Amino acid sequence: MKQESEWEPKLLGFLCRWCSYAGADLAGTSRKKYPANIRIIKVPCSGRVDPLFILKALRLGFDGVLVSGCYPGDCHYQTGNYRARRRMAITKKFLEYVGVDPQRIQASWVSASEGGKFTEVVTEVTKGLKEIGPNKLFADER
Amino acid sequence: MKDRETEQRLRREAKALLEQGKVDYIIGFETGSLKFTTTPLITKDKDSVDRLIINPFIVNNLSEYLTELKGRVGIVAKGCDNRSIVSLIQDNQVKREDVVILGVPCPGIIDLSKVEGLVGKDRDELDDVTRDGDKVVVTVDGEKKEFPASEVLFDNCLGCEFPTPQEYNILLDESSSLVADKTASRKGIETLEGMPQEQRWDFWEKEFSRCIRCYACRSICPACFCERCFVEESEPQWIAPVPRWQDNLIFQVIRNIHVAGRCTDCGECERACPVNIPLRSLTKEMYDLVDDLYHFKAGMDKEAAPLMTHYETTDPEDFIK
Repeated sequence: MKQESEWEPKLLGFLCRWCSYAGADLAGTSRKKYPANIRIIKVPCSGRVDPLFILKALRLGFDGVLVSGCYPGDCHYQTGNYRARRRMAITKKFLEYVGVDPQRIQASWVSASEGGKFTEVVTEVTKGLKEIGPNKLFADER
Repeated sequence: MKDRETEQRLRREAKALLEQGKVDYIIGFETGSLKFTTTPLITKDKDSVDRLIINPFIVNNLSEYLTELKGRVGIVAKGCDNRSIVSLIQDNQVKREDVVILGVPCPGIIDLSKVEGLVGKDRDELDDVTRDGDKVVVTVDGEKKEFPASEVLFDNCLGCEFPTPQEYNILLDESSSLVADKTASRKGIETLEGMPQEQRWDFWEKEFSRCIRCYACRSICPACFCERCFVEESEPQWIAPVPRWQDNLIFQVIRNIHVAGRCTDCGECERACPVNIPLRSLTKEMYDLVDDLYHFKAGMDKEAAPLMTHYETTDPEDFIK
């Protein structure tokens, strides 16, 4: 069994294909370092992310979920990120009421030129997850 | 009695609508099989409209049936039901011209469990329960007992903002003057908000451990109109079909997100629940949340875009990094 000190949070990232995924790519090609705690799923648009994905990820044991898309006004599909914004707001707030630490559900705007910002966001979110500890929400014994 | 007059007018109007062929069906309430209860009446027959009733126990949100009936429908609607109908029109589930709304200004519906609690007797032992202004008069063993209406109405009625239908063809009575008690309607929520986060989650774990996934909440909800629900999808299977608290809770959280901006706090889900999960502590929270964030109240304007299909460039985003 792993020691508690060895525990590393698992963060699931849903990155929009046009901005944030390209931003993550740029972080890589620019040789910037960011925590390896993030596992990335490329989505066509942040508006593709169903709140169900977030709950499913937490149910499967991810410690946090990050949804990242284009800045408002920059959406490749014009309005996808605006819709994502509403969805993320109610999901985060509602789950906080139900009893999920809001740090586990994160959103960011990262453009294709912001490799640096992507690095910062992932570092910050990972740090937050380390502080709140492993996700035991769906465990029978907590 | 005021209800009597409203009832007579309803029967006349309903009969006329059927006779003139303006509607194919009438949906209303008739006397139920258990004492004081009412049950939905769906009829094509102009003679059965005499069974229609209006009283302080017409609890169901009949708009649930609109999506199931073909043709033009005359429907009895209280304030909250009326908003559910408007919400269905906003979502293109019902055409405005296909419904004739018989609006009933609602003074609040009496919760018999609360009456039983106050009187200390089973409903079968009560002789009569009547509404008199802002009082409810309970006759038991020939003796009359008066209670303030606010003590015996359903919690959701106490939080009602629009007891009088706003979108109707015929309004059967003058506006209602329901006295709301906002604090009482949020009692459960406030208790939860006072708890630390982990304790709230523990609370819901305990509640949803009882859930048998009968889907009564989904079936009775007029806002839950999807032909195929995500819980029945198998590729991928989002949640297990067997009742485990984890999946039960996910089901209910997602259901609440799906009906955000459609839920009118009619309270039917909580009443339908056979294991008494306090579902209104979820739905009412979502109702208030979308009002806080987007100043959106469900079913107020049939021309308005549904909440989640719409956006404003100025929507709050303080939570986004």
